[in-house]
Amino acid sequence: MASMESGVPAVDVADLSFSYGDREVLKGLSIQVGRGTIYGLLGANGSGKTTFIRVLVGLMKPGSGSVKVLGEDPSPKLTEHVGYMPQLNALYQELTVRNNVDFFARMYGMNDRRKRKTAVDEAISVVGLSDRAGDGIQSLSGGMRQRVSLAIALVHSPSLLLLDEPTVGLDPELRAAFWDHFRQLASAGTTILISSHTMDDAAHCDRLAFLQTGKIIAQDSPAELRKATGQPDSTLEDAFLYFVRKGRDNVLA
Amino acid sequence: MSWHRSMAIAERVVRQVLRDRRSLGLILVAPLLVMALVGGSFSGQSVVLDRTAPALIATFAMFFTFMLTGVSFLRERSQGTLERLVTTPVSRADILVGYLLGFLLFALVQSTIVLLYTVLVLDVAYQGDLLQVFVLLMVLTIASISTGIFVATFARNEFQVVQFIPVVLAPQVFVSGIMVPVETMPTVLRLLANVVPLRYAVDGMRAIMLQGLGLGDVITELAALAIFAAVMLVAAAFTVRRT
Repeated sequence: MASMESGVPAVDVADLSFSYGDREVLKGLSIQVGRGTIYGLLGANGSGKTTFIRVLVGLMKPGSGSVKVLGEDPSPKLTEHVGYMPQLNALYQELTVRNNVDFFARMYGMNDRRKRKTAVDEAISVVGLSDRAGDGIQSLSGGMRQRVSLAIALVHSPSLLLLDEPTVGLDPELRAAFWDHFRQLASAGTTILISSHTMDDAAHCDRLAFLQTGKIIAQDSPAELRKATGQPDSTLEDAFLYFVRKGRDNVLA
Repeated sequence: MSWHRSMAIAERVVRQVLRDRRSLGLILVAPLLVMALVGGSFSGQSVVLDRTAPALIATFAMFFTFMLTGVSFLRERSQGTLERLVTTPVSRADILVGYLLGFLLFALVQSTIVLLYTVLVLDVAYQGDLLQVFVLLMVLTIASISTGIFVATFARNEFQVVQFIPVVLAPQVFVSGIMVPVETMPTVLRLLANVVPLRYAVDGMRAIMLQGLGLGDVITELAALAIFAAVMLVAAAFTVRRT
């Protein structure tokens, strides 16, 4: 049984390493994500964000180190408490928006038809696609498909959301709406771990980890990370570049 | 295993095929065209046609379910939906049973259409019990669907799935006694015929359809098909969650 105790971190990773063959993709990552918080993984493409999330969701076994999700090792029985949104949309192209969301709701064990319908309607409404619920996925734009993918991750009201670049391809208005919803979910106790490479997303997180080539180069609250640069008016982008350069200087030294 | 999840997967598989007009045409119309050609080419040779028709019904059931399952499962993997599926509480058994139920439905509809055409239009001397024919075809189809899932693991695209036809299906067609009786084949081919499921399906179909025998009379063929189905189900179960 997944631990729902508020004292147990939703994600507790210590010294995690992972390699694809000889290529080390994650190098000794340690991250703790508290319940009801929004934690951002920020880094360039290829920095290891997706691999990290795939390890958390149980798609990959860690090479070394310890990984606890909701107090347990990642396993299939844990999945009903976790909502996962992969980077690839991963939708059934021949089916409608509603068919897709409803299918995954059934996979999550939502067998009561009436309750499931309510949950599916709500998830589709949250992502602003109620008027397109009966449309086939093939007729949707890339951003809309992204929203369907998010609706699937939300439909079973998981206590932990693992979202891999959920805001890619969204227009600014929708991005803002997504973040409003993420904040509401976090206030209600849902933990959200989100990967992104945009500083716009980073500013919304309670805590951030900057990733570079599989290593955490800094982690703290956005305010503390900005403060670390020593510049009073620095942005998160400045902070990210500051830590990248600092890491490079340390290597050179 | 969850019956609810398997049913949801079966429904989804059916829905996907129904929305894919070309696949639907492939399942329902293509076998009829081939049967019409067979009927035309054997006109005036009713004995040959009688022997060939039951064998072709079994071949179609195996061929189309193998192709459809292989391609569907490959898509499941390449579109990323399998990865998403395995991050839900779904089990290997849920996925396998769901796929089996979904494609069995199409196999049965296809077999019924081809059977009716064979009997009513081609006038093949049909004596057996339809239900018993379906039971035999169902076991063959389970083996074929499982083979499709298993083979899809080794393909990276739809073209590669098609390339498995000469490896997995074509040899079965040639050694199963569809065109030439197995007994007249060289020893090596006779031995090969003993280890391919289609041979047992062809023998069983002929016995039921042409001689009017029952399942009890073709228990050897049925048991052989069941063993193939069980082996391929286990093989598919090992690979089904591999993303």
